[in-house]
Amino acid sequence: MNDFFQKLGELFTTPAYVESLWHGFLLTMQISFFAIIIGLIIGTIVALIDTAKPNKWLIVPKFISRVYTTVIRGTPMALQLFIMFFAIFAIRGFPQIITAILAFGLNSGAYTAEVIRSGIQSVDKGQTEAGLALGLSQYTIFKRIVAPQAIKNIIPALGNEIITVIKETAIVSMVGMYDLNQAAKDIGSGQNMSSYLVPMFVAALFYLAVVYFITFIIKRIEKGLRKSDLRS
Amino acid sequence: MISVHNLKKEFGKNKVLKGIDFELEEGERVVILGPSGSGKSTFLRCINRMEEPTSGKISFNGTEITDKNIGKMRQEIGMVFQHFNLINNLTVMENLILAPVILKIMDQPAAEKRARELLKHIDLSNKENAYPASLSGGQKQRVAIIRAMMLSPKILLFDEPTSALDPESIGDVLSLIRELANNGMTIMIVTHEMNFAKEIATRIVFIDQGKIIEEGKPSEFFAHPKTPRVKEFLDKVL
Ligand SMILES: Nc1ncnc2c1ncn2[C@@H]1O[C@H](COP(=O)(O)OP(=O)(O)OP(=O)(O)O)[C@@H](O)[C@H]1O
Ligand SMILES: [Mg+2]
Repeated sequence: MNDFFQKLGELFTTPAYVESLWHGFLLTMQISFFAIIIGLIIGTIVALIDTAKPNKWLIVPKFISRVYTTVIRGTPMALQLFIMFFAIFAIRGFPQIITAILAFGLNSGAYTAEVIRSGIQSVDKGQTEAGLALGLSQYTIFKRIVAPQAIKNIIPALGNEIITVIKETAIVSMVGMYDLNQAAKDIGSGQNMSSYLVPMFVAALFYLAVVYFITFIIKRIEKGLRKSDLRS
Repeated sequence: MISVHNLKKEFGKNKVLKGIDFELEEGERVVILGPSGSGKSTFLRCINRMEEPTSGKISFNGTEITDKNIGKMRQEIGMVFQHFNLINNLTVMENLILAPVILKIMDQPAAEKRARELLKHIDLSNKENAYPASLSGGQKQRVAIIRAMMLSPKILLFDEPTSALDPESIGDVLSLIRELANNGMTIMIVTHEMNFAKEIATRIVFIDQGKIIEEGKPSEFFAHPKTPRVKEFLDKVL
Protein backbone atom coordinates (compact mmCIF):
# COMPACT_ATOMS: atom_id res chain seq x y z
CA MET A 1 0.00 0.00 0.00
CA ASN A 2 2.82 2.35 0.94
CA ASP A 3 4.40 1.52 -2.33
CA PHE A 4 1.20 2.45 -4.12
CA PHE A 5 1.10 5.95 -2.68
CA GLN A 6 4.78 6.41 -3.19
CA LYS A 7 4.38 5.49 -6.87
CA LEU A 8 1.37 7.76 -7.11
CA GLY A 9 3.50 10.59 -5.80
CA GLU A 10 6.28 9.71 -8.23
CA LEU A 11 3.86 9.77 -11.15
CA PHE A 12 2.48 13.19 -10.37
CA THR A 13 5.84 14.74 -9.58
CA THR A 14 7.53 13.56 -12.75
CA PRO A 15 6.66 16.16 -15.42
CA ALA A 16 7.30 13.73 -18.27
CA TYR A 17 4.71 11.29 -16.89
CA VAL A 18 2.13 13.99 -16.26
CA GLU A 19 2.70 15.32 -19.75
CA SER A 20 2.31 11.86 -21.26
CA LEU A 21 -0.95 11.28 -19.46
CA TRP A 22 -2.21 14.70 -20.45
CA HIS A 23 -1.34 14.17 -24.12
CA GLY A 24 -2.94 10.74 -24.05
CA PHE A 25 -6.02 12.20 -22.46
CA LEU A 26 -6.23 14.95 -25.08
CA LEU A 27 -5.92 12.46 -27.94
CA THR A 28 -8.64 10.30 -26.41
CA MET A 29 -10.88 13.33 -26.08
CA GLN A 30 -10.17 14.59 -29.61
CA ILE A 31 -10.92 11.26 -31.23
CA SER A 32 -14.05 10.83 -29.09
CA PHE A 33 -15.36 14.32 -29.66
CA PHE A 34 -15.10 14.32 -33.43
CA ALA A 35 -16.22 10.70 -33.71
CA ILE A 36 -19.34 11.53 -31.71
CA ILE A 37 -20.10 14.52 -33.94
CA ILE A 38 -19.68 12.42 -37.08
CA GLY A 39 -21.74 9.67 -35.47
CA LEU A 40 -24.51 12.14 -34.71
CA ILE A 41 -24.57 13.44 -38.27
CA ILE A 42 -24.54 9.99 -39.86
CA GLY A 43 -26.92 8.62 -37.25
CA THR A 44 -29.46 11.39 -37.80
CA ILE A 45 -29.40 11.00 -41.56
CA VAL A 46 -29.68 7.21 -41.41
CA ALA A 47 -32.47 7.37 -38.83
CA LEU A 48 -34.45 9.87 -40.92
CA ILE A 49 -34.07 7.67 -43.99
CA ASP A 50 -35.06 4.62 -41.98
CA THR A 51 -38.19 6.15 -40.48
CA ALA A 52 -39.35 8.04 -43.58
CA LYS A 53 -42.44 6.74 -45.33
CA PRO A 54 -41.25 4.40 -48.11
CA ASN A 55 -41.31 5.77 -51.63
CA LYS A 56 -39.42 5.00 -54.81
CA TRP A 57 -36.67 7.58 -54.19
CA LEU A 58 -35.89 6.02 -50.85
CA ILE A 59 -35.54 2.39 -51.91
CA VAL A 60 -31.77 2.64 -52.48
CA PRO A 61 -30.99 4.91 -49.48
CA LYS A 62 -33.07 2.67 -47.23
CA PHE A 63 -31.18 -0.37 -48.49
CA ILE A 64 -27.80 1.28 -48.00
CA SER A 65 -28.62 2.39 -44.47
CA ARG A 66 -29.84 -1.11 -43.63
CA VAL A 67 -26.61 -2.67 -44.91
CA TYR A 68 -24.53 -0.05 -43.12
CA THR A 69 -26.09 -0.56 -39.70
CA THR A 70 -26.07 -4.34 -40.08
CA VAL A 71 -22.39 -4.52 -41.05
CA ILE A 72 -21.20 -2.05 -38.41
CA ARG A 73 -23.22 -3.59 -35.63
CA GLY A 74 -22.38 -7.10 -36.69
CA THR A 75 -18.58 -6.81 -36.70
CA PRO A 76 -16.06 -6.04 -33.94
CA MET A 77 -14.97 -2.45 -33.52
CA ALA A 78 -11.33 -3.54 -33.38
CA LEU A 79 -11.67 -5.18 -36.79
CA GLN A 80 -13.28 -2.05 -38.22
CA LEU A 81 -10.40 -0.02 -36.85
CA PHE A 82 -7.84 -2.39 -38.42
CA ILE A 83 -9.60 -2.27 -41.77
CA MET A 84 -9.52 1.53 -41.71
CA PHE A 85 -5.85 1.63 -40.67
CA PHE A 86 -4.34 -1.21 -42.67
CA ALA A 87 -6.60 -1.35 -45.72
CA ILE A 88 -8.62 1.76 -46.52
CA PHE A 89 -6.32 4.47 -45.16
CA ALA A 90 -3.07 2.55 -45.44
CA ILE A 91 -1.54 5.66 -47.02
CA ARG A 92 1.87 6.78 -45.82
CA GLY A 93 1.66 10.05 -44.00
CA PHE A 94 -2.12 10.06 -43.73
CA PRO A 95 -2.86 11.50 -40.27
CA GLN A 96 -3.65 8.64 -37.90
CA ILE A 97 -6.01 10.75 -35.86
CA ILE A 98 -8.26 11.32 -38.87
CA THR A 99 -8.35 7.63 -39.65
CA ALA A 100 -9.27 6.91 -36.04
CA ILE A 101 -11.96 9.60 -35.98
CA LEU A 102 -13.50 8.23 -39.16
CA ALA A 103 -13.41 4.66 -37.87
CA PHE A 104 -15.10 5.54 -34.59
CA GLY A 105 -17.45 8.03 -36.24
CA LEU A 106 -18.65 5.46 -38.76
CA ASN A 107 -19.07 2.94 -35.98
CA SER A 108 -20.91 5.31 -33.69
CA GLY A 109 -23.16 6.43 -36.55
CA ALA A 110 -24.75 2.99 -36.77
CA TYR A 111 -25.52 2.87 -33.07
CA THR A 112 -26.65 6.49 -32.95
CA ALA A 113 -28.97 5.76 -35.89
CA GLU A 114 -30.59 2.99 -33.86
CA VAL A 115 -30.95 5.26 -30.86
CA ILE A 116 -32.56 8.03 -32.92
CA ARG A 117 -34.71 5.63 -34.94
CA SER A 118 -36.18 3.98 -31.87
CA GLY A 119 -36.64 7.42 -30.27
CA ILE A 120 -38.68 8.58 -33.25
CA GLN A 121 -40.66 5.36 -33.44
CA SER A 122 -41.50 5.43 -29.77
CA VAL A 123 -43.56 8.60 -30.26
CA ASP A 124 -47.22 7.59 -30.21
CA LYS A 125 -48.72 7.39 -33.71
CA GLY A 126 -51.72 9.32 -32.41
CA GLN A 127 -49.51 12.39 -32.14
CA THR A 128 -48.80 12.34 -35.86
CA GLU A 129 -52.43 11.59 -36.63
CA ALA A 130 -53.56 14.58 -34.61
CA GLY A 131 -51.26 16.78 -36.66
CA LEU A 132 -52.48 15.29 -39.91
CA ALA A 133 -56.11 15.68 -38.92
CA LEU A 134 -55.43 19.37 -38.27
CA GLY A 135 -54.15 19.78 -41.82
CA LEU A 136 -50.48 20.18 -40.87
CA SER A 137 -47.73 19.05 -43.26
CA GLN A 138 -45.48 16.08 -42.55
CA TYR A 139 -42.59 18.50 -42.13
CA THR A 140 -44.41 20.65 -39.58
CA ILE A 141 -45.57 17.57 -37.72
CA PHE A 142 -42.03 16.27 -37.51
CA LYS A 143 -40.58 19.59 -36.42
CA ARG A 144 -43.21 20.66 -33.91
CA ILE A 145 -44.59 17.38 -32.62
CA VAL A 146 -42.51 14.27 -33.29
CA ALA A 147 -38.95 15.58 -32.97
CA PRO A 148 -39.44 17.36 -29.61
CA GLN A 149 -40.98 14.21 -28.14
CA ALA A 150 -38.43 11.91 -29.73
CA ILE A 151 -35.55 13.92 -28.28
CA LYS A 152 -36.76 13.13 -24.79
CA ASN A 153 -36.45 9.43 -25.55
CA ILE A 154 -33.18 9.85 -27.40
CA ILE A 155 -31.09 11.88 -24.93
CA PRO A 156 -30.52 9.19 -22.26
CA ALA A 157 -29.60 6.51 -24.80
CA LEU A 158 -27.42 8.98 -26.64
CA GLY A 159 -25.58 9.64 -23.39
CA ASN A 160 -24.78 5.94 -23.18
CA GLU A 161 -23.53 5.91 -26.74
CA ILE A 162 -21.24 8.88 -26.08
CA ILE A 163 -19.79 7.14 -23.04
CA THR A 164 -19.31 3.95 -25.02
CA VAL A 165 -17.36 5.77 -27.72
CA ILE A 166 -15.05 7.44 -25.21
CA LYS A 167 -14.24 4.13 -23.56
CA GLU A 168 -13.94 2.23 -26.82
CA THR A 169 -11.37 4.64 -28.25
CA ALA A 170 -8.92 2.94 -25.85
CA ILE A 171 -8.36 0.32 -28.57
CA VAL A 172 -6.47 2.85 -30.72
CA SER A 173 -3.47 1.85 -28.64
CA MET A 174 -3.65 -1.39 -30.65
CA VAL A 175 -2.69 0.51 -33.81
CA GLY A 176 0.05 2.38 -31.99
CA MET A 177 -1.69 5.64 -31.18
CA TYR A 178 -0.75 7.42 -27.99
CA ASP A 179 -4.07 7.82 -26.24
CA LEU A 180 -4.80 7.82 -22.52
CA ASN A 181 -4.73 4.03 -22.37
CA GLN A 182 -1.43 3.82 -24.22
CA ALA A 183 0.07 6.58 -22.05
CA ALA A 184 -0.72 4.56 -18.93
CA LYS A 185 0.87 1.48 -20.44
CA ASP A 186 3.91 3.44 -21.53
CA ILE A 187 4.45 5.05 -18.11
CA GLY A 188 4.13 1.68 -16.45
CA SER A 189 6.62 -0.04 -18.73
CA GLY A 190 10.10 -1.25 -17.75
CA GLN A 191 12.11 1.75 -18.91
CA ASN A 192 9.83 4.08 -16.90
CA MET A 193 8.08 3.28 -13.60
CA SER A 194 8.18 -0.48 -14.20
CA SER A 195 4.82 -0.83 -12.46
CA TYR A 196 1.53 -0.81 -14.32
CA LEU A 197 -0.90 -0.57 -11.43
CA VAL A 198 -0.52 3.11 -10.56
CA PRO A 199 -0.57 4.67 -14.07
CA MET A 200 -3.47 2.46 -15.08
CA PHE A 201 -5.31 3.36 -11.92
CA VAL A 202 -4.81 7.04 -12.73
CA ALA A 203 -5.94 6.52 -16.34
CA ALA A 204 -9.06 4.81 -15.01
CA LEU A 205 -9.75 7.87 -12.87
CA PHE A 206 -9.46 10.09 -15.95
CA TYR A 207 -11.98 7.95 -17.85
CA LEU A 208 -14.28 7.84 -14.83
CA ALA A 209 -14.17 11.59 -14.39
CA VAL A 210 -15.17 12.18 -18.00
CA VAL A 211 -17.95 9.59 -17.88
CA TYR A 212 -19.22 11.04 -14.64
CA PHE A 213 -19.21 14.53 -16.12
CA ILE A 214 -21.16 13.42 -19.19
CA THR A 215 -23.67 11.51 -17.08
CA PHE A 216 -24.19 14.66 -15.06
CA ILE A 217 -24.77 16.82 -18.16
CA ILE A 218 -27.21 14.30 -19.64
CA LYS A 219 -29.18 14.17 -16.39
CA ARG A 220 -29.45 17.94 -16.42
CA ILE A 221 -30.68 18.00 -20.00
CA GLU A 222 -33.20 15.24 -19.26
CA LYS A 223 -34.55 17.20 -16.34
CA GLY A 224 -34.97 20.27 -18.52
CA LEU A 225 -36.82 18.28 -21.17
CA ARG A 226 -39.22 16.69 -18.72
CA LYS A 227 -41.26 19.78 -18.01
CA SER A 228 -44.27 18.69 -20.11
CA ASP A 229 -44.52 15.43 -18.13
CA LEU A 230 -44.98 17.23 -14.88
CA ARG A 231 -48.37 18.09 -13.59
CA SER A 232 -48.69 21.83 -13.50
CA MET B 1 -71.37 17.67 -48.55
CA ILE B 2 -69.56 14.35 -48.50
CA SER B 3 -70.13 11.89 -51.25
CA VAL B 4 -68.58 8.43 -51.10
CA HIS B 5 -68.68 6.21 -54.13
CA ASN B 6 -67.79 2.51 -54.10
CA LEU B 7 -65.14 2.94 -51.41
CA LYS B 8 -62.92 -0.07 -50.88
CA LYS B 9 -60.09 -0.48 -48.43
CA GLU B 10 -57.81 -3.45 -48.05
CA PHE B 11 -55.00 -4.00 -45.58
CA GLY B 12 -52.92 -6.50 -47.48
CA LYS B 13 -55.25 -9.43 -48.04
CA ASN B 14 -57.72 -8.23 -45.43
CA LYS B 15 -60.66 -6.63 -47.27
CA VAL B 16 -62.03 -4.24 -44.69
CA LEU B 17 -64.34 -1.98 -46.73
CA LYS B 18 -66.06 -3.74 -49.58
CA GLY B 19 -67.76 -1.01 -51.55
CA ILE B 20 -69.36 1.77 -49.54
CA ASP B 21 -71.73 4.28 -51.10
CA PHE B 22 -72.71 7.13 -48.88
CA GLU B 23 -73.98 10.70 -49.04
CA LEU B 24 -73.84 13.25 -46.25
CA GLU B 25 -75.91 16.43 -46.40
CA GLU B 26 -75.21 19.64 -44.55
CA GLY B 27 -76.62 19.62 -41.03
CA GLU B 28 -76.94 15.86 -40.89
CA ARG B 29 -75.78 13.93 -37.87
CA VAL B 30 -74.94 10.41 -38.87
CA VAL B 31 -74.24 7.80 -36.21
CA ILE B 32 -72.31 4.80 -37.46
CA LEU B 33 -73.02 1.56 -35.68
CA GLY B 34 -71.72 -1.92 -36.24
CA PRO B 35 -69.90 -4.78 -34.57
CA SER B 36 -66.24 -4.57 -33.62
CA GLY B 37 -63.94 -4.95 -36.60
CA SER B 38 -66.68 -4.20 -39.13
CA GLY B 39 -64.73 -1.24 -40.54
CA LYS B 40 -66.38 1.76 -38.86
CA SER B 41 -63.11 3.45 -37.94
CA THR B 42 -61.60 2.62 -41.28
CA PHE B 43 -64.57 4.20 -43.05
CA LEU B 44 -64.28 7.38 -41.01
CA ARG B 45 -60.51 7.48 -41.48
CA CYS B 46 -60.81 7.10 -45.24
CA ILE B 47 -62.96 10.23 -45.39
CA ASN B 48 -60.15 12.48 -44.17
CA ARG B 49 -57.56 10.20 -45.70
CA MET B 50 -55.93 9.07 -42.49
CA GLU B 51 -56.18 5.81 -44.42
CA GLU B 52 -55.65 5.86 -48.14
CA PRO B 53 -58.58 4.18 -49.91
CA THR B 54 -57.68 1.19 -52.07
CA SER B 55 -60.26 2.30 -54.61
CA GLY B 56 -63.38 4.42 -54.90
CA LYS B 57 -64.05 8.11 -54.81
CA ILE B 58 -64.69 10.50 -51.96
CA SER B 59 -65.73 14.09 -52.66
CA PHE B 60 -66.29 17.11 -50.48
CA ASN B 61 -68.73 19.67 -51.89
CA GLY B 62 -68.20 18.27 -55.35
CA THR B 63 -64.38 18.26 -55.23
CA GLU B 64 -62.70 14.89 -55.12
CA ILE B 65 -60.47 14.49 -52.07
CA THR B 66 -56.95 13.60 -53.21
CA ASP B 67 -53.42 13.57 -51.85
CA LYS B 68 -52.92 16.99 -53.42
CA ASN B 69 -55.76 18.84 -51.70
CA ILE B 70 -55.93 16.80 -48.51
CA GLY B 71 -54.30 19.50 -46.38
CA LYS B 72 -57.02 22.02 -47.25
CA MET B 73 -59.71 19.35 -46.96
CA ARG B 74 -58.64 18.45 -43.45
CA GLN B 75 -59.24 22.03 -42.39
CA GLU B 76 -62.86 21.57 -43.49
CA ILE B 77 -63.24 18.07 -42.06
CA GLY B 78 -62.20 17.95 -38.41
CA MET B 79 -61.57 14.75 -36.52
CA VAL B 80 -61.80 13.77 -32.87
CA PHE B 81 -60.10 10.57 -31.74
CA GLN B 82 -60.87 7.95 -29.14
CA HIS B 83 -57.57 8.62 -27.39
CA PHE B 84 -57.78 12.43 -27.69
CA ASN B 85 -54.31 12.78 -29.16
CA LEU B 86 -53.52 16.11 -27.62
CA ILE B 87 -49.94 17.03 -28.47
CA ASN B 88 -47.98 16.02 -25.36
CA ASN B 89 -45.18 18.52 -25.70
CA LEU B 90 -47.51 21.49 -26.09
CA THR B 91 -49.68 23.23 -23.51
CA VAL B 92 -53.43 23.37 -23.90
CA MET B 93 -53.18 26.83 -25.44
CA GLU B 94 -50.41 25.74 -27.81
CA ASN B 95 -52.48 22.74 -28.84
CA LEU B 96 -55.36 25.01 -29.70
CA ILE B 97 -53.49 27.65 -31.67
CA LEU B 98 -50.87 25.46 -33.39
CA ALA B 99 -52.80 24.65 -36.56
CA PRO B 100 -54.70 27.92 -37.10
CA VAL B 101 -51.49 29.94 -36.71
CA ILE B 102 -49.26 27.69 -38.82
CA LEU B 103 -51.92 27.40 -41.51
CA LYS B 104 -52.30 31.20 -41.39
CA ILE B 105 -56.01 31.01 -40.75
CA MET B 106 -55.62 33.44 -37.86
CA ASP B 107 -52.73 35.44 -36.48
CA GLN B 108 -51.53 34.47 -33.04
CA PRO B 109 -53.41 37.08 -30.97
CA ALA B 110 -56.68 36.30 -32.76
CA ALA B 111 -56.12 32.56 -32.31
CA GLU B 112 -55.37 33.04 -28.61
CA LYS B 113 -58.47 35.14 -28.17
CA ARG B 114 -60.62 32.51 -29.85
CA ALA B 115 -58.94 29.74 -27.84
CA ARG B 116 -59.67 31.57 -24.59
CA GLU B 117 -63.32 31.98 -25.51
CA LEU B 118 -63.64 28.29 -26.24
CA LEU B 119 -61.75 27.30 -23.09
CA LYS B 120 -64.01 29.52 -21.04
CA HIS B 121 -66.97 27.89 -22.69
CA ILE B 122 -65.90 24.43 -21.58
CA ASP B 123 -64.90 25.71 -18.14
CA LEU B 124 -61.20 25.02 -18.54
CA SER B 125 -59.84 28.55 -18.59
CA ASN B 126 -57.56 27.67 -15.70
CA LYS B 127 -55.89 24.92 -17.78
CA GLU B 128 -54.66 27.25 -20.48
CA ASN B 129 -51.01 26.71 -19.62
CA ALA B 130 -51.28 23.13 -18.43
CA TYR B 131 -49.75 20.25 -20.33
CA PRO B 132 -52.03 17.41 -21.46
CA ALA B 133 -50.46 15.01 -18.93
CA SER B 134 -52.07 17.00 -16.15
CA LEU B 135 -55.63 16.81 -17.54
CA SER B 136 -58.25 14.14 -16.89
CA GLY B 137 -59.54 12.12 -19.83
CA GLY B 138 -62.74 14.11 -20.05
CA GLN B 139 -60.84 17.38 -19.99
CA LYS B 140 -58.48 16.15 -22.69
CA GLN B 141 -61.33 15.14 -24.95
CA ARG B 142 -63.13 18.44 -24.52
CA VAL B 143 -59.93 20.29 -25.36
CA ALA B 144 -59.49 18.00 -28.39
CA ILE B 145 -62.99 18.91 -29.55
CA ILE B 146 -62.45 22.65 -29.28
CA ARG B 147 -59.05 22.19 -30.93
CA ALA B 148 -60.88 20.78 -33.93
CA MET B 149 -63.34 23.67 -33.73
CA MET B 150 -60.51 26.21 -33.89
CA LEU B 151 -60.32 25.62 -37.65
CA SER B 152 -64.10 26.16 -38.03
CA PRO B 153 -64.55 22.89 -39.91
CA LYS B 154 -67.71 22.20 -41.90
CA ILE B 155 -67.86 18.62 -40.71
CA LEU B 156 -66.65 16.87 -37.57
CA LEU B 157 -65.77 13.18 -37.50
CA PHE B 158 -65.84 11.48 -34.11
CA ASP B 159 -64.41 7.98 -33.64
CA GLU B 160 -65.69 6.63 -30.32
CA PRO B 161 -65.00 9.90 -28.51
CA THR B 162 -66.12 8.58 -25.14
CA SER B 163 -64.86 4.98 -25.23
CA ALA B 164 -61.70 5.76 -23.30
CA LEU B 165 -63.44 7.80 -20.61
CA ASP B 166 -64.70 7.08 -17.13
CA PRO B 167 -68.50 7.23 -16.79
CA GLU B 168 -68.41 10.60 -15.11
CA SER B 169 -66.53 12.37 -17.91
CA ILE B 170 -68.63 10.75 -20.63
CA GLY B 171 -71.52 13.05 -19.79
CA ASP B 172 -69.38 16.18 -20.12
CA VAL B 173 -68.07 15.17 -23.52
CA LEU B 174 -71.49 14.13 -24.80
CA SER B 175 -72.94 17.46 -23.66
CA LEU B 176 -70.35 19.30 -25.68
CA ILE B 177 -71.05 17.23 -28.77
CA ARG B 178 -74.78 17.72 -28.22
CA GLU B 179 -74.23 21.44 -28.09
CA LEU B 180 -72.31 21.40 -31.38
CA ALA B 181 -75.15 19.40 -32.89
CA ASN B 182 -77.73 21.90 -31.67
CA ASN B 183 -75.69 24.66 -33.30
CA GLY B 184 -76.10 22.96 -36.64
CA MET B 185 -72.74 21.20 -36.95
CA THR B 186 -72.60 18.42 -39.51
CA ILE B 187 -71.42 15.33 -37.67
CA MET B 188 -70.41 11.74 -38.33
CA ILE B 189 -69.85 9.76 -35.18
CA VAL B 190 -68.99 6.19 -34.28
CA THR B 191 -70.24 5.50 -30.78
CA HIS B 192 -71.43 2.73 -28.52
CA GLU B 193 -73.59 5.12 -26.51
CA MET B 194 -76.96 3.93 -27.82
CA ASN B 195 -79.07 6.46 -25.97
CA PHE B 196 -76.93 9.28 -27.23
CA ALA B 197 -77.13 7.83 -30.75
CA LYS B 198 -80.92 7.79 -30.60
CA GLU B 199 -81.03 11.30 -29.26
CA ILE B 200 -78.57 12.99 -31.55
CA ALA B 201 -78.74 11.14 -34.87
CA THR B 202 -80.66 12.31 -37.86
CA ARG B 203 -79.65 9.05 -39.51
CA ILE B 204 -78.15 5.74 -38.37
CA VAL B 205 -75.82 3.83 -40.63
CA PHE B 206 -75.11 0.21 -39.80
CA ILE B 207 -71.90 -1.33 -41.11
CA ASP B 208 -71.24 -5.04 -41.06
CA GLN B 209 -68.24 -6.74 -42.63
CA GLY B 210 -67.24 -3.70 -44.60
CA LYS B 211 -70.65 -2.88 -46.06
CA ILE B 212 -73.52 -0.62 -45.11
CA ILE B 213 -76.28 -3.15 -44.60
CA GLU B 214 -78.96 -0.88 -43.22
CA GLU B 215 -79.58 2.81 -42.69
CA GLY B 216 -82.46 4.99 -41.64
CA LYS B 217 -83.95 7.44 -39.21
CA PRO B 218 -83.19 6.49 -35.58
CA SER B 219 -86.87 6.03 -34.71
CA GLU B 220 -87.27 3.55 -37.55
CA PHE B 221 -83.90 1.92 -37.13
CA PHE B 222 -84.24 1.11 -33.45
CA ALA B 223 -87.95 0.24 -33.46
CA HIS B 224 -88.17 -1.69 -36.71
CA PRO B 225 -84.81 -3.06 -37.81
CA LYS B 226 -85.13 -4.58 -41.26
CA THR B 227 -82.32 -7.12 -41.28
CA PRO B 228 -81.78 -10.00 -38.85
CA ARG B 229 -78.17 -8.90 -38.39
CA VAL B 230 -79.25 -5.51 -37.03
CA LYS B 231 -81.95 -7.11 -34.88
CA GLU B 232 -79.37 -9.40 -33.35
CA PHE B 233 -76.99 -6.47 -32.77
CA LEU B 234 -79.67 -4.34 -31.14
CA ASP B 235 -80.81 -7.21 -28.93
CA LYS B 236 -77.28 -7.42 -27.60
CA VAL B 237 -76.59 -3.73 -27.04
CA LEU B 238 -79.95 -2.37 -25.90
N1 LIG C 1 -53.72 0.03 -39.99
C1 LIG C 1 -54.24 -1.21 -40.15
N2 LIG C 1 -53.48 -2.21 -40.64
C2 LIG C 1 -53.99 -3.45 -40.81
N3 LIG C 1 -55.25 -3.79 -40.51
C3 LIG C 1 -56.06 -2.84 -40.02
C4 LIG C 1 -55.59 -1.50 -39.80
N4 LIG C 1 -56.61 -0.78 -39.30
C5 LIG C 1 -57.66 -1.61 -39.21
N5 LIG C 1 -57.34 -2.85 -39.63
C6 LIG C 1 -58.24 -4.00 -39.69
O1 LIG C 1 -59.43 -3.60 -40.32
C7 LIG C 1 -60.55 -4.21 -39.70
C8 LIG C 1 -61.57 -3.17 -39.34
O2 LIG C 1 -61.01 -2.32 -38.36
P1 LIG C 1 -61.77 -1.04 -37.83
O3 LIG C 1 -60.88 -0.42 -36.81
O4 LIG C 1 -62.19 -0.18 -38.97
O5 LIG C 1 -63.04 -1.66 -37.13
P2 LIG C 1 -64.11 -0.95 -36.22
O6 LIG C 1 -65.44 -1.23 -36.84
O7 LIG C 1 -63.76 0.45 -35.99
O8 LIG C 1 -63.97 -1.79 -34.89
P3 LIG C 1 -64.08 -1.31 -33.37
O9 LIG C 1 -65.53 -1.22 -33.02
O10 LIG C 1 -63.41 -2.41 -32.61
O11 LIG C 1 -63.36 0.00 -33.25
C9 LIG C 1 -60.03 -5.02 -38.54
O12 LIG C 1 -59.96 -6.36 -38.95
C10 LIG C 1 -58.65 -4.47 -38.31
O13 LIG C 1 -57.81 -5.48 -37.85
MG1 LIG D 1 -63.03 1.58 -34.36
